[in-house]
Amino acid sequence: MKSSGAKYDIFTKLALLLVVVIVGFLIVLPLVNILVYSTQPSGSAIVTGAFSDIVTREIIWNTLKLGVAVAFLGTVLGFIMAYTQARVEFRGKRIFHVINLVPIISPPFAFATAIIVLFGRSGMITRGIFDWRPTLYGFPGLVLVLTLSFFPIAYMNLLGMLRSLDPALDEAGSSLGANKWRIFRTVTLPLLIPGFAGSFLLLFIESIADLANPIIIGGNYTVLASRAYMAINGDYDISLAAGYSSLLLLPALIVFLIQRYWAQKKSVVSVTGKPSGRPTLVTSRFAKSFLLTVTTLLTSLIILVYATVILGAFVQIIGVNNEFTLSHFQYLLGGFANAAIRTTTFLALIATPIAGIFGMLIAWLVIRKVKRGSEALDFMGMLGIAVPGTVIGIGYAITYNDPVKIGGVTIFPQVAGGAAILGGSIAIIMVYVIRSSPAGQRSGIAQLQQIDPAIEEASASLGASGGKTFRLITLPLISGAFLSGLMYAFAHSMTTLSPIIFLVTPDTSILTQKILAEADQGRYGNVFALCCILIVLIMVIGGLINLFVRRTQVSVDRPMVAGR
Amino acid sequence: MSSKTGSLRVERLTKEFGNGKEKVVAVHKLSLTINPGEFVTLLGPSGCGKTTALRMIAGFETPTSGEVLLDGENLVSMTPDKRPMGMVFQSYALFPHMTVFDNVAYGLRIKKMSSAEIKSAVAEVLESMSLSHLANRAPNQLSGGQQQRVALARAMVVRPKVLLFDEPLSNLDAKLRAQMRIEIRNIQRRLGITSIFVTHDQDEAMSLSDRIVVMRNAVVEQVGNPDEVYRRPASVFVADFIGRSNFLKVEGAKKARSGKASVVVGGVELEVAAQEDALTSKHPVLLVRPESISVTASKSAKPGKSEGVVSNVVFYGNHVEYTLNTDEGVILAVVSDPIYEEIVPVGRVAKYSFDEDRAWLLPSESEQATKEDQE
Repeated sequence: MKSSGAKYDIFTKLALLLVVVIVGFLIVLPLVNILVYSTQPSGSAIVTGAFSDIVTREIIWNTLKLGVAVAFLGTVLGFIMAYTQARVEFRGKRIFHVINLVPIISPPFAFATAIIVLFGRSGMITRGIFDWRPTLYGFPGLVLVLTLSFFPIAYMNLLGMLRSLDPALDEAGSSLGANKWRIFRTVTLPLLIPGFAGSFLLLFIESIADLANPIIIGGNYTVLASRAYMAINGDYDISLAAGYSSLLLLPALIVFLIQRYWAQKKSVVSVTGKPSGRPTLVTSRFAKSFLLTVTTLLTSLIILVYATVILGAFVQIIGVNNEFTLSHFQYLLGGFANAAIRTTTFLALIATPIAGIFGMLIAWLVIRKVKRGSEALDFMGMLGIAVPGTVIGIGYAITYNDPVKIGGVTIFPQVAGGAAILGGSIAIIMVYVIRSSPAGQRSGIAQLQQIDPAIEEASASLGASGGKTFRLITLPLISGAFLSGLMYAFAHSMTTLSPIIFLVTPDTSILTQKILAEADQGRYGNVFALCCILIVLIMVIGGLINLFVRRTQVSVDRPMVAGR
Repeated sequence: MSSKTGSLRVERLTKEFGNGKEKVVAVHKLSLTINPGEFVTLLGPSGCGKTTALRMIAGFETPTSGEVLLDGENLVSMTPDKRPMGMVFQSYALFPHMTVFDNVAYGLRIKKMSSAEIKSAVAEVLESMSLSHLANRAPNQLSGGQQQRVALARAMVVRPKVLLFDEPLSNLDAKLRAQMRIEIRNIQRRLGITSIFVTHDQDEAMSLSDRIVVMRNAVVEQVGNPDEVYRRPASVFVADFIGRSNFLKVEGAKKARSGKASVVVGGVELEVAAQEDALTSKHPVLLVRPESISVTASKSAKPGKSEGVVSNVVFYGNHVEYTLNTDEGVILAVVSDPIYEEIVPVGRVAKYSFDEDRAWLLPSESEQATKEDQE
């Protein structure tokens, strides 16, 4: 029950205004500009020819086919992994779980390049072991790489649902005479349908939005994101890019809306609070060996990919010349990547707290304060992740390569491009913030929903103002969500690529963009070394953020206990 | 610290949710005057508007119309943190990241009291509620009853002019609930703080209150002290909601010379007290509480006047409950301290009787309902 009747206090009003302004400039304006530019001749030709023009139609078909294939395979794999994790007893369960989650914060290209090295035409496994020379470039390679990269989303989603299923449902089924297979078919699976739908749609959005992998491993298989990228980098036609972006934006937003407001509401999984027993475990030998085989294969594959990345960084050319060398690191740290490491880390560190606080603020407004239109506010906050990165990047390039003017008056300065203030770094920070605040928003909302609103009312009835209650009660209670929001924001900012490609300038060299350049040149040793550097940076600085936030939390608490 | 302040007046307080066809009236023109130090309970079934009324008084809901006046000052435009009221929540709402001490000290720190003052004030209130040994515990390390006492201590320590209770005992088990009832009442009497208590539990309302406000479908059905709402309920609904009731069919209701009503029940003419609308009602009913009815065995095989067939008997040791089928309707009778051998068995005819002073004539429910709809 939200305080549906109380008027907004001044703190709430200011917070709302701030959110609307930030969302307006960071995402709404660039999107509006995409739509505006796509009405210019070369863009509108693409949009109006979407179904009649053979080339455009094929690009759209390629995009949708890729989306459906990855969404289907990823959901199936995610479910098998989640079901095994929840219902099968085996050694090393925890480790399997952690390894399954690793791809979520993986640097771009790590999978694509490692898969090429392992399974490509001259792959260490395909050619080295089986003397087989398959072609990975194109649809099959993309499906393989994207499925591996995105299945953890389905895995987490379905694992959460499986764990919240009341074990008593299974027990009720078996006391009514159903065997385990029947219970699985008639109780477990139907209850998970919304989870399957949700995972499918999320994976669909992620795969049609991806840009990095189609560039590296797509070959002649062109999708909307890579075509829009080429429109900027090959045709130098902004309107054309805007046209392809609009075509990509539409399905992405529609599917996102369906996922959030339909699939999630269909969920019938009840959180009872008190699990009334232990989940029934899989005992059938056949089912168990099937599940464990799939799980082990997939987990091994992930380990293999990361082993390739790490080994590849320390040898001359992995699979060809496996001689130990530090030359990649010497080259990168000897000047090639130093500026990129510094700039990327610095900009990500600036964006992280802004994104974290922004996400918490929206979560708090959505759950506690806004009565009418809370869903619209929630949606606005989620736009940054709903809109494909390619579209955001092009939208920024259109909008912020010049000052934003209304009637000749500048209301927002030029922040993107080499001629912008601070070398265009502000646009990059803006992208980092809007792309990574939705994760904090989600975890903040989840945590706030668990907190009894009466706790904040109690604070008010004891005389604390709105701002004081937020600071003394709400923030400490959602600090867990805040911390995870910060960690995610940092990791995501460090690894994000698609919007950044369009915003890097000579002064703002970004690590992921360096990786793209090296992968494009086929210098995989450098790619692997850069991935290692990125992973180490995320782990070390993420750990420091964790320590720092925990430390300040304690010092915030201390004055409150001084009275003892 | 008993004081003369804390007089609360509620004027035509109304709350509507939604608008147009979906409009729901949660509270309709609630008017009430509560004297300093008085303990008033809002009682009613769930959805009757009692919690919404309390939340409007606290400031968590903005009234659609109406006023809340504390010692003459209108509070409606004041946010909850500015109102000199303390609230005890159904879920206790203890701050989970603070110790018991810090929870209780919270309001005092907001008031910017010195830490020495805070320390002694908190120590005093914890002592008075036997919570001193728990001062450094976290809320999740306490039992339900202890959490309840901390919530009460936290609300009281800031010395509010009004204490508001939102079903604070509903999460406790029966034994603890009875114990906390006594504790709350004792503390409230000692401190003399004006209190409003919301509950759907009639036992709580009866045992705690100076006055009870019975609510139903957003409106007040009756305001009265516990004896009045029990013995002289304003409607069949109130009679039914509070305690158990028999509503007997009556004939020939008319005004008696004494000013009371004269009715015939089971062929016997009685003079009974009556609710003001009862005599104009087409089909008045006579309220007789089960414990007011005595039952004795009858020799006849067929029931005569004031007699009925026993259809059910339940023996509880300290009392026995009869269900009788009579011409006046099904009658429930509770006979206390029964002699086992004298209990009338099922299927036999029994004679029932009651003191006319213990009866109360009411208009029938359906007539009252239509009257309300017309308003």
